[in-house]
Amino acid sequence: MRTTWTFPKVATIVGAVLLAVLWLVPLLWALDTSLKPEPETTRSPITWLPAAPTMAAYSSVLDQGDLIRWFFNSTVVSVLVTGLTLVVSVLAAFGFSRTRFPGRRVLFGLIIAGILVPPQVLIVPLFQEMTGLGLVDTYWGIVLPQVVAPVMVFVLKKFFDGISRDYEDAARVDGATRWRIVWSVMVPMSRPILVAVGIFTFIGAWNNFLWPFIVTTDPSMMTIPVGLANVQGSYGLRYAQIMASAVLGGLPLLIVYALFQRHVVRGVGDAGIKG
Amino acid sequence: MAVQTQPQVTTSTPRTAAKPAAGQPWKERWGGLFFVAPFLLLFAVFMIWPIISGLWNSFFNTSLAGVKQEFLGLQNWREMFGDPAVWSSLKNTLVFTAMSTPPLVIIALVMALLANRKGLLGWLLRFSYFAPFVLPATVVTLIWVWIYQPGFGLVNGLLTAGGFAEIDWLNTENRAMLAVVITTVWWTVGFNFLLYLAALQGIPAQVYEAAAIDGANGRQQLFRITLPLLSRTTGLIVVLQLVASLKIFDQIYLMTNGGPNFATRPIIQYIYQNGFTNYRIGYASAISYMFFAVIVVVAVLQFRLFSGRKEAGQ
Amino acid sequence: MLGALALTGCGSLGSRPRVREWNLFGGGDGARLLQIHQQYVAEHPDVDFEAHTLAWGPPFYTKLAMSAAGGRAPEVATLHLSRLKGFSPTTMLDPIPVDLLEEAGVRESDFLPATWNRCIVDGKLYAVPLDQHPFVLYYNTDVCKKAGLLGPDGKIKPVKGVTEFLDMLKAVKETTGKYAASVETTNPWRIWWTLYGQLEGKFFSDDGTRLVLDDAKALEALELMAKLATDGLTPKSSNYAALVAQFTNGDAGLSFNGEWEVTTYQTAKTPFSMAPFPVVYDVPSFAGDSHTFVLPHQANRNKDDTKATIEYIAWILKHSADWAAGGHIPAYQPVAKSQKYLDLKPQAEYRSVAPDVLYDPDGWFSGSGAQLENEAGAAFSGVFSGQATPKAALAQFKAATQKLLDTPSPV
Repeated sequence: MRTTWTFPKVATIVGAVLLAVLWLVPLLWALDTSLKPEPETTRSPITWLPAAPTMAAYSSVLDQGDLIRWFFNSTVVSVLVTGLTLVVSVLAAFGFSRTRFPGRRVLFGLIIAGILVPPQVLIVPLFQEMTGLGLVDTYWGIVLPQVVAPVMVFVLKKFFDGISRDYEDAARVDGATRWRIVWSVMVPMSRPILVAVGIFTFIGAWNNFLWPFIVTTDPSMMTIPVGLANVQGSYGLRYAQIMASAVLGGLPLLIVYALFQRHVVRGVGDAGIKG
Repeated sequence: MAVQTQPQVTTSTPRTAAKPAAGQPWKERWGGLFFVAPFLLLFAVFMIWPIISGLWNSFFNTSLAGVKQEFLGLQNWREMFGDPAVWSSLKNTLVFTAMSTPPLVIIALVMALLANRKGLLGWLLRFSYFAPFVLPATVVTLIWVWIYQPGFGLVNGLLTAGGFAEIDWLNTENRAMLAVVITTVWWTVGFNFLLYLAALQGIPAQVYEAAAIDGANGRQQLFRITLPLLSRTTGLIVVLQLVASLKIFDQIYLMTNGGPNFATRPIIQYIYQNGFTNYRIGYASAISYMFFAVIVVVAVLQFRLFSGRKEAGQ
Repeated sequence: MLGALALTGCGSLGSRPRVREWNLFGGGDGARLLQIHQQYVAEHPDVDFEAHTLAWGPPFYTKLAMSAAGGRAPEVATLHLSRLKGFSPTTMLDPIPVDLLEEAGVRESDFLPATWNRCIVDGKLYAVPLDQHPFVLYYNTDVCKKAGLLGPDGKIKPVKGVTEFLDMLKAVKETTGKYAASVETTNPWRIWWTLYGQLEGKFFSDDGTRLVLDDAKALEALELMAKLATDGLTPKSSNYAALVAQFTNGDAGLSFNGEWEVTTYQTAKTPFSMAPFPVVYDVPSFAGDSHTFVLPHQANRNKDDTKATIEYIAWILKHSADWAAGGHIPAYQPVAKSQKYLDLKPQAEYRSVAPDVLYDPDGWFSGSGAQLENEAGAAFSGVFSGQATPKAALAQFKAATQKLLDTPSPV
C-alpha cells in the first residue's frame, strides 16, 4: 500500500512513539539502576548509563534465595486460582444458563449482588475466618477466597446464553450427558473468551497484593509482590539490589505478556465490551 | 480441549430431540444444582459468611490479641461517626478517585487511537502502553519510589539538571497524592486502553469507507464517527474505573504508607491499621461496613445513570 | 502434587528440631546478624534453622501479631522491650521456660536488674533481653577534622548546651557545603524524645491514664528542630534510606541516629567515629530501646523445637560481642564486661550512656514503631519540612495522643 506522508499522519506517529518512550522510561531506569555498582546509584548529579555495568546486584538478590521461593509460590497460587476459577465458574455459568432447579433465580440474583462486594472490605472478617479454619499461611488460604469471582459467572453465563442450543441438542442425541456437554460443547465453543478471562485471572492472581499480604505472615509462604514488600534480604546501601529484585519480580509476566499479546487484545474484544 | 468434536456437533438436529428422557424427575429437578454447587459453596464460605461475621464483630470489642470479647452495642459505630480520621481517610480515597479517573479514561482513549494500527509499530505501541499493567504493585512502587527519590532520583535529577528546584514528592503533603496518581496512571491505564482498543477494532471498516466517500476528512471521522461509537465503551470504563479507584490501597500503602501526615491514607488502610496493627477487629469491621455502603451506593447510582442513558439511546 | 505442596506450608516434619527466627533488623545490624546466623548454622547442623528480616516497624509487628493470632507463628522473634506490655504477652506470647534457659547457661544474674524486670509480666518471664540501643552522634572524621572539631586525641570535642551544639553544626555545614547532619525527618520521634528527655519533660501521669506533657518544653525541642531545618543544618525532608546515603556520600558530616549503622558505614568505607549525642539541654538522656527475644504464641508448641529455640537464644547472647560489633550495647553482662567487647571501636565511645537510655512512654499504643511514634512522626515531620509550625504540630500530636488514650485498650 502506498502511503502519503501528510503532516497529521507524521505528527500522530511521532506523538505515539513519544508516549511509548515515556511509558518505557521507568522500566528502563529500573534496569539501568540495577546494573550500576551501589555507590554510583546515589551519586548526584545522576549518571545515565553505568560506567562499568555489573550483574552484582542480581547475583546478591538471587543468592538470598527467598525470591526463588516466592516465584514458586506465585506460580502455584496463580495456577490454582486460574484453574479453579475457570472450572467452578464454567460449571456455575452452565448451571444457570442451561438447567432449571428450584431457587435458581434467587441464587443467581444473589451472585449478581456479589459483584458489588469489594473483597477489600472483607479482609478483617476473612482473616478471622482463616484463623479459625487454620488456613493462615497455607496455599489454600491464599487461593480459595480469590476463586470466588461472581463477575466471571455473570460474564460466562451471558456468553453461554448466546450459544445456540442446537449444538448441545445434537450432542444429546448422541447420548451425551449434561456433564459431557459442558466439556465437549460449551468449553470448546467459548475458547477465546475463556483464554482471555483466564489470562486476566492469572495476571490478577499473580499481582494480587492485599489478600496474600493479609493471609501470609511466614516469609516462606509469601508470593512475589508480598515478599518483595515485606522481607528485607540485604542491608546498607542497596538501591541497585532493590531495582534488581524489581526487575526480576516483573520480568516473568512481561515475557508472558509479550508472547500472548495477540490473544489478550483479541480476547478482550470477545469477552467484555458487549456485556 | 475437545476441539475436534466441534464439526460433529455443529450438524443441526431437530429441536424435539432435546427433550430429556423421562423417568428421572429427581435428577431433572435438582440435577442443575450440582453444577452451581461448587461455586455456591465457595461463595457462601468466603463471601456470605465474612459479610455476616463482620457485621456481628462490629457490635463487639473483638481483638486480634484474643482477649475476652464483650458486647458493645453500637459503641463502635458511634465512635466511627465521631472519628475524624475515618472521614479524612474517606476523603483521601474520594480525592484519589476524582484525580485518577479522568486521566485514566482520557489517556487510555488517546493511546487506543494512536495504537490502533497494524504491523510492528502497532505491536510495539501496544506493548509499551500495556506492559506496566502486568507488573505487581510492589514492583511498580519500588521503581517509582526510586524515581521520586530526592537527591539522586530520576525526576529530581531531571528537575535540577533543568535548573529547577527539587521536589520531595512523596514527603510533601500537597504533592504526595499527585505523585501516587501519576504512578497509578502509568501502571493501570493499559487496561482501559485495551478495552478502548477492542472497541475500536470492533467498528466495521465499511463505516469509515462510506464516510470517506462522503468526503469526510480524518478529523471529521474522529469526531463524528469514532468518538460517538465509543460512547458506550466510555460509560463502561468510567464505571469500572470509579469502583476500582475507590478500592485504592496497594500503591499508597507501599509508596507513602499513608503519609506525609496521613495526607494520603485511604480508608482501606485505616481499616487495616485498626484491625491488624492496633488489633481492633471490632472497630475495623464497623468502618468496613460504612465503606461497603459507600461503594454500593456509588455503584448503584452509576448503574442507574448508565442503564438510564442506554435506554434513552435506544 | 497438591498434598506435597500443602505440606511444605506447615508443621515440622523431619526429626531435626526446627527454629524459625523473625527479626526486624533492616540496618547494618541486619548484615551483622546474617554473619552471626551463618556461624550458628555451621555449628548446629542438627537444627533446622531459618531466619527472616521483615520490614521494620508496623509491618513487622503487624505480621508478628497476625501470625500469633493465626497460630502458626515462628519459634522465636525479636521484640522491642518498650512494646512488650502492648503486645498482649499473655495471649500472643508464650512464657519463656526459665528452667530451660538456666540449663542453657543463662540466668537472671547475667542481666542488669532494671532490664530484666521490664521483661516480666504478671510474674512470668516473656522476653530475654539482647541489647540496648541509644540515639547517638555519628561523625565523619575527615570533615570534622577540617572543621576543627576534633580534639588532640582525634575524637570529637564534646559540646554542651544549645549554643555550642549549633556552633558545631554550623562549622560542619561550612565544611560539607551542604548539610551539617543527616536525620530522619519523616519520623523525627527519636530526636524529639531525646531533646524532650534532656529537658526532663514528663509524658503520662504515673498511673498512665492522663497526658501530662509539658508544652513549654515540648515546644522548645520542636523549635530547635525547626531551626535546624530552616538554617539548612539538616535536610528539610529525608527518609531513613536518605539519612544513610547522605552520611555515606558526604552530603552530611554528622548523623543523628541509633547506633546500628556501624556495619553499613564500615562497609561503605566512610571515615567515621561515634560519640554520645550531645547534652543539648539539662540532663543526659537519649531515646532508645532494647531488643529482646520472645516466643510468639503457637497453637501447638513442640517441646524439642522450644528447647532448641532456648538454646539458640542462649547461644546468641553468648556471642553478642559479635552483635555488639554492629553497634548495639550487649544486655548480657558477661559479654558487656568482656575484654573483647571493651576493645571494640567506635563502640567503646558511647556505651557509657546505657543507664541514660530513655524508653518510650508506657501504653498499648506506644513503643518502637507503634502508633504513638507514627502520630509523632506525622505531626513533627512538618516541623522539619516547614509545613507546620511547632505550635500546630504539638497541638496535633497532643490531640492524637489524647485520642489514643481515650480508645479502649484492645489488649
